[in-house]
Amino acid sequence: MPTLTIDGIEVEVEPGTTVLQAAEQAGIEIPRFCYHERLSIAGNCRMCLVEVSPGPPKPAASCALPAGDGMEVKTNTEKVKKFREGVMEFLLINHPLDCPVCDQGGECDLQDQSVAYGEGASRYKEKRRIVEEKYMGPLIRTIMTRCIHCTRCVRFADEVAGVPSLGAIGRGENMQITTYKEQAFASELSGNVVDLCPVGALTSKPYTFKARPWELKNTETIDVHDALGSNIRIDSRGRAVMRALPRIHEEVNEEWISDKTRHAVDGLAKNRLDRPYVKKDGKLQQATWAKAFEVIAKKLKGLDGKQIAGIVGDLCDAESMYAMNTLLKSLGGSVECRQDGSKIGAKHRSGYLFNSGVTGIDEADACLLIGSNPRLESPVLNARLRQRWLTRQCKVANVGPEVDITYKIEQLGDSATILQDILDGKNEFAEVLKSAEKPMLILGQGALNRDDSLVILKLAHDIAEKYGLVTDEWNGFNVLHTAASRVAALDMGLVTDAGIEGILSGAESGDIKVVYNLGADEFDTSRLKKAFVIYQGSHGDEGVRHADVVLPGVAYTEKPATYLNTEGRVQTAQRAIFGPGEAREDWTIFRALSEVLGQSLPFDNIAELRASMANDYPQFAIIDQKPNAEWADFGVAGKVSKDGFKLAITDFYGTNPIARSSETMDECRAAMNGTNQSEGATGTDG
Amino acid sequence: MAVLDHAARTIFLTEFVKGMALTLKYFFKKKVTINYPHEKGPLSPRFRGEHALRRYENGEERCIACKLCEAICPAQAITIEADIKEDGSRRTTRYDIDMTKCIYCGFCQEACPVEAIVEGPNFEYSTETREELLYDKEKLLDNGDRWESQLALNIELDAPYR
Amino acid sequence: MGKYLDIFVGWFGYRLDDWALLTFGTILNILVVVLPVLLAVAMIVWVDRKVWAAIHLRKGPNIVGPFGLLQSFADGLKVFLKETIIPAGANKFLFLLAPALSLIFGLVGWAVIPFGEGVVISDLNVGILYLFAVSSLAVYGIIIAGWASNSRYAFLGAMRSAAQMVSYEVSIGFVLVCVLMCVGSLNLTDVVLAQKNVLFGVNGYFFSGLFPMFIIFFISALAETNRTPFDLPEAEEEIVAGFQIEYSSMSMALFYLGEYANIILMCGMMSILFFGGWLPPFDWEPLYAVPGVIWLFTKMFFFFFCFAWVKMTVPRYRYDQLMRLGWKVFLPISLVWVVLTSGYLVFFGRLAS
Repeated sequence: MPTLTIDGIEVEVEPGTTVLQAAEQAGIEIPRFCYHERLSIAGNCRMCLVEVSPGPPKPAASCALPAGDGMEVKTNTEKVKKFREGVMEFLLINHPLDCPVCDQGGECDLQDQSVAYGEGASRYKEKRRIVEEKYMGPLIRTIMTRCIHCTRCVRFADEVAGVPSLGAIGRGENMQITTYKEQAFASELSGNVVDLCPVGALTSKPYTFKARPWELKNTETIDVHDALGSNIRIDSRGRAVMRALPRIHEEVNEEWISDKTRHAVDGLAKNRLDRPYVKKDGKLQQATWAKAFEVIAKKLKGLDGKQIAGIVGDLCDAESMYAMNTLLKSLGGSVECRQDGSKIGAKHRSGYLFNSGVTGIDEADACLLIGSNPRLESPVLNARLRQRWLTRQCKVANVGPEVDITYKIEQLGDSATILQDILDGKNEFAEVLKSAEKPMLILGQGALNRDDSLVILKLAHDIAEKYGLVTDEWNGFNVLHTAASRVAALDMGLVTDAGIEGILSGAESGDIKVVYNLGADEFDTSRLKKAFVIYQGSHGDEGVRHADVVLPGVAYTEKPATYLNTEGRVQTAQRAIFGPGEAREDWTIFRALSEVLGQSLPFDNIAELRASMANDYPQFAIIDQKPNAEWADFGVAGKVSKDGFKLAITDFYGTNPIARSSETMDECRAAMNGTNQSEGATGTDG
Repeated sequence: MAVLDHAARTIFLTEFVKGMALTLKYFFKKKVTINYPHEKGPLSPRFRGEHALRRYENGEERCIACKLCEAICPAQAITIEADIKEDGSRRTTRYDIDMTKCIYCGFCQEACPVEAIVEGPNFEYSTETREELLYDKEKLLDNGDRWESQLALNIELDAPYR
Repeated sequence: MGKYLDIFVGWFGYRLDDWALLTFGTILNILVVVLPVLLAVAMIVWVDRKVWAAIHLRKGPNIVGPFGLLQSFADGLKVFLKETIIPAGANKFLFLLAPALSLIFGLVGWAVIPFGEGVVISDLNVGILYLFAVSSLAVYGIIIAGWASNSRYAFLGAMRSAAQMVSYEVSIGFVLVCVLMCVGSLNLTDVVLAQKNVLFGVNGYFFSGLFPMFIIFFISALAETNRTPFDLPEAEEEIVAGFQIEYSSMSMALFYLGEYANIILMCGMMSILFFGGWLPPFDWEPLYAVPGVIWLFTKMFFFFFCFAWVKMTVPRYRYDQLMRLGWKVFLPISLVWVVLTSGYLVFFGRLAS
């Protein structure tokens, strides 16, 4: 272990650590532009120059210099100050001084470091370089004159996004960062280059000129657009969400978020339900809360519990589902969470969790994807899997339709019978699994919404047992969910025997008289026509189409809530803004309705609700820890059909009402489809 | 002696008499009043009066919606909303100054990188209703057009000292 | 009074019966005094503002009329045309009664002020006592205003006013005792006449051992009329106009009139008690050629100037300082002076029978 001295502080570091990282460990800040912890080292900005001895008597780039034993590094000398001023002056030669019109202004690395390390005045009198703008898709606005050629974006595209369409052309002063052939940066993670860009060369297109960083209120919350539960920060101004940014959570999303998470927020302001509606003369008409409750109470009066059913949607938080379940149970009804027709059971926790955890991917050495396209179902998780794949220590195979998930995977075929082959050892991937130390499989929702899903589940279970996917320290049986609410709902046992199909056919036959729909928009609601439908949600989408009473709930940015991600990790979200109009936090609606129905729920505030929920389901009280679910026997033995898998997500940019309301998402879809034609399938169309 | 002195001063109210003498002296001094509507005092080029938004000579508005004035305003009297114009430039869609909040500190014009928002020499803009004091972009640009010659002169006169 | 009646009889040429004559004549007498007083108030406000302005190096009101003389009438007209606002929580009757009372008490004192020998509405033999009583009553207007406004500031102002007036009346009382011991009569005409040639041909008690009492009386008069430095009841900076806070338009104007009528009355009292009323300053025959009323008005004007002058010179007292001055300084001094004066009078046998 090399030991070196930095500014008189002695620090011992792992071999291979760079001087810059060593300085960070010693608590010394070295300015940098091109260096980024999660990207490869480029060493082209020269901002991190330090004095090193022993060595040649010239400045050394600390980001690219491995720490050596006995090194003496100085970062606070007059010389280093001069190095930095020199580099700063060079960088600013061609950087335009247009901070007042630049969206990066106020959160710009170049601005900050210019103030901290620059000389304060320019000696440059000659003409500045002007670079023409590049097209990088509907999310990234480019002002390439501002570019300082750190190549962070290029490295991100190559290494993390896996869509190597960014690059540099020309050299010296003529170097330009561009997409090849002027195409969109066709990645679901493209928005992250905006965060990476240390200057204002790449900025967010939908956010162009909308707000300044100092005007925004930052709220730390959780994303619901996929089941990963990315940690995000919502920046709001007044009652409007201006943008979403990632928060660093090493065990979940590192510091990336998908474009849907980042840019679907404009859908929060559109198609919103802001007041209750009641159907009168075949048309939904505005009503008061009292009126809406009265209509519901009248309808529910005298109904048998079996005639009442509830459906919860994909974006629901645990609190509202708990309140709904408590209320409907007190009326004798039941709640169903699998609106996509998934057959997964709620009995055994290990049977529906991503048991290895997201960090488990970093250790896995074999991975079998079953009926899943992680690129669309969870782009950030896919990026992590890709990182693991890049180390060449992990083989990835796929059972399901052939998809481009940005790295090379072994395509085993698109038939469920292949699983049987693997179990029987007839497939060559069985050997890979057997020889792997930490093998894992990822069961996608495409494998769970079939008629023989329970058999597939059993097969996966048996494969896991047979090939050592489940040991004392390792559980490689993973289910990748697509709905943010699903794990919490399954934990609360919000499943019915006949599933969603039972409710729909029950409604058609008249056995089910009242359906309470909590934000479920992903099924054909025309089958509910005969029943009395109460829709509670934030957006006017599929769910309100055949609703008789519409109650305005709030979206995920507008309520304090608890979400369980696909690993079963409990994460709490904060309220960033208040909901529009008369919309109320969902659990409060159930609380108020319960009063009208004479079945008062036993909690008056969110703290009491959470206490009650934690009492019923103790796992909800363990915040931000990956649970270790006990291994169990699940699934039904039987014969699987030969059919191929039907993937759960084909339209990444329209998986939920918020994304469907978002214009940005529409533009993304159009742009992606455009690039698909020229470049071949990228997976967006399944 | 000090005690006696103090007692004498107290009893004979000397401080009081001194004060009265001073004010009496001022009573007879020359008066400095200007008969305001008829006569006006001189104004410094730095005088901070009514706000105005200036334009370039070609008629293009100077303001680039950088929001620095909004950020610096200690009274939070300025409200700006920005958007992208058809030609891709950054412009305000809304530039309001609540003149009832404004404290005329002049920070906005100090902060402005393009000398768009200025406090002009006009101080005679009283209104009959509060609403008229909620200035919008149109009103401010109008002020700028009306006072431009004076504003430009003031900036020029003050330039050597900046 | 009889003199006026004779004039009246002379004008009309026939006699009304006694009762009617008495009533009619009295009313006429009152009008002859009150109307000039109200006019004087208007003008004195202008003087006040001019003096303040001069000390501020300003010009003061100079637009309305020559030298701005009509400023007060312009203000009066403006105030008259404004709306009288009665607060929702106010006691309406008392709220409107208060300013009227304030003006009435400011005017009734004039009944006993002699403008010359025998030229007085009511030549009471207890004139001083009457004045003393009336000036004490003035506090009621303010207290009622403060109470009826149903406002914290107004109430605070009223409380301060009550405490202040009560405190300073005590020393005023003893000052008056000193004077009336020297005179031996409570009749104001007698008081004036007794001041003829007090010492070295000077008319007025101020030129005698009573001078310190005059100073105390002057300062107490400031306090009694809520003038700076004792304007705590309406201190703008603390309780934003105090008892007047809820008053607008004419009701406020009545307070104003009452206040200034009181101030002029106090100036009159100082002239009469210490400066020999209508007598010329020196007991020198040619000076008597000038009518007594002129001398009296000159003296009153001088004192009013002093009022304005003081207002522009000294800052407001703090409440505890005000109380300390009243009770710990003025009361003992005036009490000691009563003893000294009486001792002197008894010792030299000058005590009037």
